[in-house]
Amino acid sequence: MKSSLFAAITGALCIGLSPVAFAENTTSPDAVILPTVKMPMIDFVEYDLPNGLHVILHQNKTAPVVSTYLLYHVGSKNERPDRTGFAHFFEHLMFEGSENIKRGEIFKYASAAGGDVNASTSFDRTDYHFNMPANQLGLALWIESERMLHGKVEKVGVETQRQVVKEERRLRTENAPYGTLYENLAGMVFKGTPYEWPPIGAVQYIDKATLDEFRSFYHQYYIPNNATLVVAGDFDLDATKKLIADYFGPIPRGNKIKRPEFALQPQQAPTEKTVALANTPLPAVLHAWRAPAETSADAPALELLADILATGRSSRLYERLVRGDQTASEIEAFPMLLEKGGAVGVFAVGNPQTPLEKLDAAVVEEIAKVRDAGVTPEELQKAKNLKMRELAQAYGTMLSRAQNLAHYHVMFGDTGKINQQWEKYEKVTANDIQRVAAKYLIPQGDNVLHYPVVKPNASK
Amino acid sequence: MKTLSILLALGIAATSVQAAKLDRTRPPAAGPLPAVTFPDAVTETLPNGLTVFVLPIHKEPMVTFRLLVKSGDFCDGSKPGLAALTAAVLNKGTAELAASEFAQKTDFLGISVEGGSSDDATTVTASGLSRYSNEILGFLRDVALRPAFRQTEVDNEKTKMVSNLAQKRMDPDELTVRLRDKLLYGEHPYGAYATPETVQSITRDDIVQFHDTQFLPNNATLVVVGDVEPSAALEQVRKAFGDWKQQDVPPCAPPVAFPEIKGVTVHVVDRPGSVQSAILVAARGVAKNNPDVPELSAVNSLLGGGMSGRLAANLREKHGFTYGSSSGFAAKKLGGAFSATAEVRNEVTGSAVEEILKELKRISSEPIPESELSLQRNFVAGNFLMSIENERRMGERLQEVDLYGLPADFYKTYAKKVTGLTPQKATELAKKYIDPNDLVIVVVGEAKEIVPQLEKFGKVTVYDTDLKEKK
Repeated sequence: MKSSLFAAITGALCIGLSPVAFAENTTSPDAVILPTVKMPMIDFVEYDLPNGLHVILHQNKTAPVVSTYLLYHVGSKNERPDRTGFAHFFEHLMFEGSENIKRGEIFKYASAAGGDVNASTSFDRTDYHFNMPANQLGLALWIESERMLHGKVEKVGVETQRQVVKEERRLRTENAPYGTLYENLAGMVFKGTPYEWPPIGAVQYIDKATLDEFRSFYHQYYIPNNATLVVAGDFDLDATKKLIADYFGPIPRGNKIKRPEFALQPQQAPTEKTVALANTPLPAVLHAWRAPAETSADAPALELLADILATGRSSRLYERLVRGDQTASEIEAFPMLLEKGGAVGVFAVGNPQTPLEKLDAAVVEEIAKVRDAGVTPEELQKAKNLKMRELAQAYGTMLSRAQNLAHYHVMFGDTGKINQQWEKYEKVTANDIQRVAAKYLIPQGDNVLHYPVVKPNASK
Repeated sequence: MKTLSILLALGIAATSVQAAKLDRTRPPAAGPLPAVTFPDAVTETLPNGLTVFVLPIHKEPMVTFRLLVKSGDFCDGSKPGLAALTAAVLNKGTAELAASEFAQKTDFLGISVEGGSSDDATTVTASGLSRYSNEILGFLRDVALRPAFRQTEVDNEKTKMVSNLAQKRMDPDELTVRLRDKLLYGEHPYGAYATPETVQSITRDDIVQFHDTQFLPNNATLVVVGDVEPSAALEQVRKAFGDWKQQDVPPCAPPVAFPEIKGVTVHVVDRPGSVQSAILVAARGVAKNNPDVPELSAVNSLLGGGMSGRLAANLREKHGFTYGSSSGFAAKKLGGAFSATAEVRNEVTGSAVEEILKELKRISSEPIPESELSLQRNFVAGNFLMSIENERRMGERLQEVDLYGLPADFYKTYAKKVTGLTPQKATELAKKYIDPNDLVIVVVGEAKEIVPQLEKFGKVTVYDTDLKEKK
């Protein structure tokens, strides 16, 4: 049930290079069970090359396929406020070519090999991946190392991608129902921090970046000591280590990166915003609060709280708004926990005649109930069971394994945490749930977005 | 044309190239493509006619049971939305359990039981941790064989469905597909779609009738995929579904011919406030069991598959018109549609349609270079190989072979057929199935800005977002 509307919109949580690979990316979790299920163990080896590139290798020969995943630790939060969207735009440019790869050939190489390639940019990182038949690992490594060693951009490519990125923005943000949800959410909850603009950025800055700025960005961030390379799937361990050393070894180490330092301060007063657009089909409200970083000790409890609120048809908000009041047709609760801070929110889509105030009142009331009275042991156990199921099916593809290995290394500083996910949820208590609700889902921190239905002639 | 280019890492390249022994000026040589092995399933048909496939895959401690009833929206009759609504109410309570109790019990075990419908089939998919396979199967049986269809739940699902339709009529992609189907399939059930009125007209009796006449073991297949042992799984299924009574399946709808598509016509859905036009150029496609389907997928890929197809190269990489442009054959049991799509800014809508038409003409009128076709053959065969990683998809394919009457070895020979495609045959198939003279051009966007750009392609008809013709 997480694969519904909001998930589709927050697909913008990271925005991709090409539309092709998007559909496959969502897992559709639902529920799960008591401890002692043996989770699939993700074995790996990891090491650094002398130039600082971190390498993680996970071998699995279930199918003759292999995925490569290259993460650069740079995202939209590294951007200047007058160059929002830069990191994502640069991601598009990384497909232009290199000294040894002509413009437009990366896609052809991937297709001719029987594989696919894509990339995405989020607040905190930019990633590039290939899915390949097992015989084509070398090609993926060659292309990635070429782009890291001597990427090349031509003016004609820059101008073309400016147009492509503007179309991507129109497609996902301006022309899609509720497409502006995400940027409004970020603007309210993360105000005053580099998270306040989303990775797609503002359209007026896409034309501004210069070739010099691209070169400088590349030197600053696209360096081996800011990158993590994961290979997952069917490959030979020793041969692959050698191949990686040969292709990536010669790339010089770059300068140490100065990272943005900031923290979300507790919010003092609630905010509210109304977004009136002709393409809004049903009245909808979003309530969102500031939340801690994903590495915070409070994170697991917040995630389980979101499940108790809205995952499954027996969740509190579904029971109340969809089945009970019948004022909503869809309800979702989401934690969006990032590297330096996060958001947690509830999104409710009303039925055609539902007044927005009714949705607001029900959400506020249900949140207050958790703060005041906590949750039952059964609810907590159910949420844990749901989480166990989610974890049990989270690693079906080699790409999902590669992504998560890199994620744990970069964001948690410990790749091995990929195999200890269940433990952190298992120890959450009902008291923890009430405590984090009272700490984060506070009335003075409630950021409310209204999407009213606009009558045809009244729109802008 | 002078192109200014920058080497992003000036100065570094020369020295580092010498440091490595391998030749990095060209891609490494690759070994042969791994043999494509479509997994073998254990198959059994129960005495009541239910065919069961078991595909054991132990990568995750999960199991999925998918029941497919071979009657879908095609059987809606005069009330489009009937199969979809039936599927939506199925899991809202059984003879023993109220909807909220059912949700409580399944959620607590982390089990999901979801219904869905398509033109040709209605499905119920139940999944969860494999340790609960007995419980999962029990829920599936109760939902499929003994749903309660309580009036309150029927009413609630109708409300949700009407809301969902309100969302769909603002969704450009959904609108293009709906109008395409209306134009290509006409009065045939494939051309019908649910509206708030048709949904409101559906009664509990309609749903019960649909369920009782179509949900029959001899009209269904069941696939089990995941962390199970085949013999134990089969025994479970025999116990759960063995007493399901077989009976005659009434035919759903009298066959109606598809309308003839002659010439090129333009159909614009006016969606005020749009900053992009969703373009869909459609032609009569092929049915699922058409023997040309494997080879045709490579022909399509050449035109609009992935990022290396001609449409993406032209509309995205050459012109910067769009974020993505692609094409595909959407095949159903009795027919299908070919579509080429792109979402483009309002002011280039006409130019984008022109480029799409140019590519549709070119693929059948100019010889196809072997090098380009070879790339696309590899792409399609390689992607098929990689799809084997997706076990649920494998299970669905087993059911498709049965549902659409495909040759038993369809998926085992698929990659071989694709890789055997010659340029001559590709041109022949393009001529046969992508005729640039008989097309419908569907565009959803700001009519007043885009209609003037589209008049040169054919007679323009303008619709509102309910797909009613505007005067």
